[in-house]
Parts: sequence; C-alpha cells; structure tokens
Amino acid sequence: MRTKVILVLASVVACGAWVGAAALEASGSQVVGLRRLTENEYRNSIADILGKNIQVQGTFEPGVRIGGLTAASTAVLSITPAGFESFSKMADSIAAQATSAEHRKRLISCQPKSEKAPDDSCATQVLSQYGLQLFRRPLTAEELRSRVSLARTMAKSSGDFYAGLRYGMATLLQSPEFLFRKEIAVPAADKDGYVLDPYSRAARLSYLMWDTTPDAELLQSAQSGELTTPAGLEKQVDRLMASPRLETGMRAFFTDMFMLDTFNVISKDSLFYPKWAGPMAAAAQEETLRSTLDVALTKNDDMRELLVTRKTLINRSLASIYGVPFSFNGEWAPHEFGPETGRSGLLTQISMLAMFSHPGRSSPTKRGVAMNEILLCEPTPTPPNNVDFSEVNDTGGPRKTVRERLMAHAADKTCASCHNAVDPIGLSLEGFDTIGGRRDRENGEMIDVSATLAGKSFHGAEGLGKFLYNSPKFPSCVARKLYSYANGLNAEEVETSAFKGGLEAFQKSGYRLRALLKGLVTDPKFFNASAPEANHTSP
Amino acid sequence: MKLDRRFLLRGMFHGSAATMMVPFLDCFLDSKGKALAATGQKVPTRFNTFFFGCGLTKQLWVPKTAGQNYETTAQLKPLEAFKSKLNVFSGLRIPFDDNPNYQHWSGVAAAATGISPTRNGQFDSKTIDQQIADVISRGARYKSVAAAASGNPKESYSSLGGLNTLPPETTPLALYTRLFGPGFQDPSSGDWKPDPAIMVQQSVLSVVADDRKRAMMNLGSGDKARMDQYFTSVREVELQMATQLQRPELTAKVEIPAAPTDDMLVNNALPNIRKVVPLMSKLGAIALATDQTRVFNLSVSEPASQIFIPGDSLGYHQSTHEEPIDPVLGYQPRVAQYNVHSMELFAMLLGELDGIQEGDGTLLDHSLVYAFTDQSFAKIHAVDGLPILVAGGASGRMKGGFHVAGDNSTVSRVGLTVQKAMGISVDGWGLNSMETKSPFTELLA
Repeated sequence: MRTKVILVLASVVACGAWVGAAALEASGSQVVGLRRLTENEYRNSIADILGKNIQVQGTFEPGVRIGGLTAASTAVLSITPAGFESFSKMADSIAAQATSAEHRKRLISCQPKSEKAPDDSCATQVLSQYGLQLFRRPLTAEELRSRVSLARTMAKSSGDFYAGLRYGMATLLQSPEFLFRKEIAVPAADKDGYVLDPYSRAARLSYLMWDTTPDAELLQSAQSGELTTPAGLEKQVDRLMASPRLETGMRAFFTDMFMLDTFNVISKDSLFYPKWAGPMAAAAQEETLRSTLDVALTKNDDMRELLVTRKTLINRSLASIYGVPFSFNGEWAPHEFGPETGRSGLLTQISMLAMFSHPGRSSPTKRGVAMNEILLCEPTPTPPNNVDFSEVNDTGGPRKTVRERLMAHAADKTCASCHNAVDPIGLSLEGFDTIGGRRDRENGEMIDVSATLAGKSFHGAEGLGKFLYNSPKFPSCVARKLYSYANGLNAEEVETSAFKGGLEAFQKSGYRLRALLKGLVTDPKFFNASAPEANHTSP
Repeated sequence: MKLDRRFLLRGMFHGSAATMMVPFLDCFLDSKGKALAATGQKVPTRFNTFFFGCGLTKQLWVPKTAGQNYETTAQLKPLEAFKSKLNVFSGLRIPFDDNPNYQHWSGVAAAATGISPTRNGQFDSKTIDQQIADVISRGARYKSVAAAASGNPKESYSSLGGLNTLPPETTPLALYTRLFGPGFQDPSSGDWKPDPAIMVQQSVLSVVADDRKRAMMNLGSGDKARMDQYFTSVREVELQMATQLQRPELTAKVEIPAAPTDDMLVNNALPNIRKVVPLMSKLGAIALATDQTRVFNLSVSEPASQIFIPGDSLGYHQSTHEEPIDPVLGYQPRVAQYNVHSMELFAMLLGELDGIQEGDGTLLDHSLVYAFTDQSFAKIHAVDGLPILVAGGASGRMKGGFHVAGDNSTVSRVGLTVQKAMGISVDGWGLNSMETKSPFTELLA
C-alpha cells in the first residue's frame, strides 16, 4: 500500500513541473487564507504521511472560539515563541524517528550509496517526496536545494547519511508551509475575482472531510488539473465521502460545533457529585460524538433526529449517571431510553447538561444560552454591567426553585428581552441535574418543566426537542456552521447566500449530512475567493 | 592558580560555602554592596505577574490611611509578612474612552497594557511583562514563562497583542519539564559543557529562517503580520539556543528539585489550586534564580474566576453576581472569603520568591511582582478602584510599605512606575485618557 503511495507521489514529483510552487510566483496570485493547523490536523497529517507508529509528543497552542467555532481562530492566530519551540522539538523528534534504524526501511524510499556519507540523489528524492506531502505542493527548487545542502553538511560532519536526512526532514516539519495551510488563489479565467489553485482546493477538501492532509490521489488530481473540472471534483468528493475516514472529519467538526472542548475547563464539585470523576468528561464527549455520527453517517438519517431520538451509545460509567444497568461486555453499547425518562437526544446527553452548568448547580440560563448558540446560531448579548442577580441565588427565601427565582429576575425589563429567549430552553431541561442525572425536585419542590417559546408552549426536554425539530433555524445553523468551519470564518458574519447551495441540498435530501456536505463543496462558488486587502507583491 | 568568581561560586554549590569567610565573599559585591553575578554583571532584576480573578472587597482591603505605616486590613492580612516589601494601590481609575466596558476584560487589559481594549478578550498591545521582557530577557534561556494554576490552557494574561496569547504551562509537571526537563543543563554541575546538539539545531533553524522571503510573498496585511510573528518566534528560539551555549551564572543557593512524580489533579477546585500554586511558584522562583527566565507569569484563575470551594454550588464568579449584599455587613460575605483566598495564593508566590537567598538579599528583593485583577467590584463589573499590588524591591529601585491611596490617578501610572523601577527607559505609558508620564516618584529609590 505504502509502496503504491510512494510511486504515485514520485510521479507527481517527477512530472509535476512545479505546478503548485509556480502558482505563487504566477502573476496575480494571492494568498487568500492562512490557517494554522489544529492539533488533530497536525497529528492526523503526521500519521498519514509517516505512519501511526511515529510518536507525536508535545503541546499545542490552544485555539480561541470565534462566532461559535474554534476553526475560525485558525485563520487569525499565529505561532508564538513558546508555540514554535514546541513545534520545533516535535519536528526534531518526528524526523529522528522517521530516519531511525527501526523505521527507515519503511519510510526512506531509496538506499544511499553509503550509509556513512552524503548522497544528494537519495536525499533529493526523499526530501522532495516528504516536501510534497507536508507542504501539500511540490517544493520550489530553492526550498529543496537548501535542505539537500543541510543534509549533505550534516551527513558529512556526522558520518551518517540518515542523520543528515533527519535534519533535512526536521526543517520541513517546522516550516510555516506545513504548520500553516496556505490557500492560494489565482485570477479566475472566465469571470471577475479569484479562485483557489488546485492544491489549495485539495487541502481544503481533505482537511474538511478527513481532518488531514490530502492523500496521493487527491494531490495527483490537483496536479493533473482534474480537480478543477466539475466532474473531477465530484469524483474526488464522492471518493472522500465514501471512505470511513469521513467519520474522522465529521468528528472534528461536531467536536467544534458542540463546543465539546468546554470539558477542558469545567470542573464539577465532587462533594455534591462523587460519581463525576476524570474519565467521565471524556466518556460524555465520546457518547455525543458516537451518537451524532451514528445518526449522521452510519444511519444516514435526518439530522433533526439528533434532537428527539431516545437512542444513544453508552459505556459503564455513563450508565451509572443515567441510572441504567450496563450488562454489555464491550466498552460501548447501544441503549434506548424509555419514554418515561424524558430524554431527548443531544439535549439531554450528559455532555450538554454538564458542560453548561455550574460546578454544583444547574443553570437554565447557561443551558439556554448554549443551546441557542450551538443549535440555532443565535448568540446572546452580554448582560448589562450593573445587574442585580441576588434574587436568583436566594435559595433561603420563599422562592424554592430556580424557575421562581429567574422569573423574579426577568421581571426587570432590561433583562427580560434576553431571558425570554434563553430561559424557556433552560427551564425545560431542569428535570436534569448538573451532571445530567434525572431529578424531579429542587429544594423539596416539584420542578415545573413547562416552557413557552415564540408563542409555542411545550413541556420538558421532549417538548423542547420537538420544538427545535420543527424549527427551520436548526438545519440552517448546521449548514452555516459547516460552511464556516470549512472556510475558517466567523459564523456570525457569514451571509446566508454563501451556503445556500449546501442548505438547499440539505433540505431536499431530508436533512442528510452527506447531502449538505456535497452540496457545499460542489457549489460553484465554494472555491471562489476575494483578494485580501492591502496586498504586497513582495516582502 | 587564578581565582575566578565562577570557580568560587561553583565551589559554593558543592558544599564548601560553610568554610568560606564572610569578608572573602565581599569580592562578589560591587562598591555599593550589591550582589554581582559571576560575570561581573549585577544580579538581573526579575519581573513577575500574578493574576487573580474577581478583585477584592473595597471595605475590607483598602487601608484607612495613605502612605507608610498603614494598618493592615482584613483582606491584606495574608500578605502581612511581606508588608515592608509591598505597595498597594487603591482608588485608581480606568477610563474607557469610546470603548465599551467589556465585562471581566476591560480591567485586565487596562492593567496589563495601559490601554482600554477595543475588542473583548484581546489586548491592544503587548502586555507589560512582554514589554519588560523585550528589554531584560536577553541572556536568559526563555524570554518569559507562564503558568496557569487552574489548568486552563487559555488562562494566560501574557500576550504579544491581539489574539497572540503566550500559552501557559497547565500542570506542575509540564512547568517542570519546560524548565528543567530535556534541554536543561544544571549550571552547577561540574562537567558543564555546551551541548553540540544545540549547534545542530541552530543550523536547522537557519534553513527554516531562510524560507522567509518566499513565505511572506503575496500575503494580505493581516496574514503578513501573522507570518511575521512566526519568523519572530523562530528568531527568538534561535536566541534561546545561543543562550544555552553559555553556562548560566548561578547566583543563588538553590537546588534543582526532582520532577513532580505524578501529574496532580489541576482544576478549579480551591483545594487543588492551593496545592498547585506553591509548586508552580517554587518552580518559577528556581527558574528565575537559575536564569532560565527573568519573567514569570502566574495566574490562579480566569478573570471571571471559576474557582469554587467544594460544597459551594455557585463558586466564586457566580457568587459575585448572585450573593446578596449582607445588610448588616454591607458586603458579600462569601465573596469576601474568596477574596481572602486570592491573597493567600499571592502570599504563596511571594513566600517562594522571598525564600531564595541571592547576593545581598532575596530573590524577591531583586524582583518586582505586579499583581492585578479584572474588577474592583465584580458584582456590577466595576473597574474604578481596581486593586493593584506590587511586591519586591527591584534590586533597590523600589521602596516598599506604601499604600498609595486614590487620587483619581489612572491605573497606567502603576505600570509606568513598575517599568521605571525595572530600569526600562520609557517616558510615558498607556493610551488616550490612560496615557501618563507621571510615575509614582515617591516609590522610586
């Protein structure tokens, strides 16, 4: 398999005529996007290029959530000294492993004339092969020359061909051409404006669908120009979507869209919730991803099912919070909640309920704000600075439930405008505690889970699920987020027309994720670009 | 045999210190009695920041009288041991100009940059620690090091501006590994020699840096700045490597501790934070004493502090908004308790710095620690009167023991004073209404 990949790559390198490299020097070409690789993109890329048994150990600078997605921050963040230091160490460690006695047979495609001396021809072959894969385009002559020369010097001084190669490879692995994904656009042939060059198209598709670097076939399709034809594009898109690796890509998307990284920064009060332990957060996150992918990809079902289904996948530790027996032998088992549990898809999963709560207390407002933003793309403005929240906290007074206390607070007109849109969602979820367990009472009082939103009354999580199921805002929000994720944009600033092609395909298919994905990326506008302002042709 | 300072110092760290006579040690002091490092340079003055969320309670922390000899207040009590090495600033003003009051952010940014922020969550310039690091860090292995005691990887208030936050180490083990793990050479070890592997890495970096011209081609202005930052970072790591080829001059009596055996639980629960802060502080202090870095930034929480005491279902930040003001006391009692914990955590850092002897004093005497927060009264997101505390003698440049009471000065005056004390040649600091050219001269020695 790997031999075949290398052969295909070799043909790209040999007959590529530096297409990608030439693109940047081509007249009028512009860099229209610079996306810093995420930790997963980096790890997946290394695993694909060098194999899964190469260890990647180091820390990655975190992203920042912008408009609901951390993907948007990859288009605005740079690499700080501490971040580069870490990348540099990882590059050296990866290159050392790749050229080690253990791995070189598999990874180094040529035999040096002597293992104790420089061999420019073999070094050139290896560095141009990995250069193409890491930079997602062929190296320029100069990029290759400086690396071959370093490999030669180091091989000579150490008396070890592979040591020279190691340092040559390390330069590729810490180059900005690898750590950032450069999107290069060229003037469109038949219209105004710019379109992405073939290699940039390949990278955008691959990182969106597989969360990794383009494979050999995709690179070859970029090199041959096939990818820029509608038929060639469709062929590649169908191939990427037919692969099980689509799951990896969509996992990354849903992790971002559902804000599952929130688990990194929340804590639960073990005094109140002794069942909540370290592995719980990871399990809750995994449940959400598994059940989402089950609906979206395995069953190819209506995505709105996510909001109402009582089916999920659980492991032993989650079962204890859900209060269900776990008699399965394996690690994960499908489970269907009974109707009496009041569970409703994603809305009542431990992940969502726990992430948007206080350490020891549920928060209808936090849950409402999160659901509005995640599922409906409706962010809530920050509250005024001088707000008296003490009503909400006064559990010793006559108002026993959080509903009564919130109502008193929302009687204030300034507060009401937001709380009326937020609280009903959260109040309907009050039948579940801070870590997602079922409950009926708060401070001894029965909890009322009825709510009214946009003039419609409903009851509990199931009622909320049906309400959201019937809202056109949910599918539109999924389309908006996926489009913004693919392009590294602030979802709040994206025009609805930008993802119209995808949304229409989504609706027509009965809300199938694959239809949305294909609709988005085969939309003739998907690879259009506008030139960035204040360009300079030379540094 | 020629006696050089390096040789003598090395001797001291191998147990012969006890046999050396005190007058003999005078050769390490300059004419003013200030400590000299073995290079003949003065012990560098180090800089620290300490960030704590949600402020303090005005009635409980602001001393009744201004100047020296003020009576210690309830919330400053944990810092009493350091009173003579500490200055506290009350009544400082933070004008927003035309910008909004970004909740839990405008105060952070004003204290850290002297600029009212134009974007939520972003600094409009480098933060004060980086401005100072640009001047004082040449020669140290790391330009600066940040650590977050609650384990949140986004919790750092050390920034190159915009979204370029300098990432913190989030566990004691991670901090240890960065400072004393692979790549660290114990400067007191007898057989220290430059590591040739570093020279090889320098050649690798020089090839990477040579790609700059093409990497910068045809970029839009925003991306150009980001790519430029990448190459600045490459340059900084090159400098770091050059530094590592020189033997660091140990000036303090410290032992490099063993690695923390076990990555402990690091989260927002106060008992965990109370275990993590002293460990991180100790590692930071040793890093400063061994010149691994001259700038150490420690944060104990994010601005809207998520710290909670087990059993308190609301936690710190939510309490500031939801706990009623006690009609008799006139403040929020639970919030006030959390405030005191912040000062106890601050005292832990100061204790570690003050516990290391070097030259004519302690590491704290040769440092400045700038402690700041996000709100003066978190309940209503107020920033005027933001509590600021500055500890350390800055190698004799900063006096201590003062309460600088509110005369409606802007918070940027403290930042300017701190930079003056750090020996930074700067005339003014801050922007728009916070621009100032008046340091608190009474504090400068």
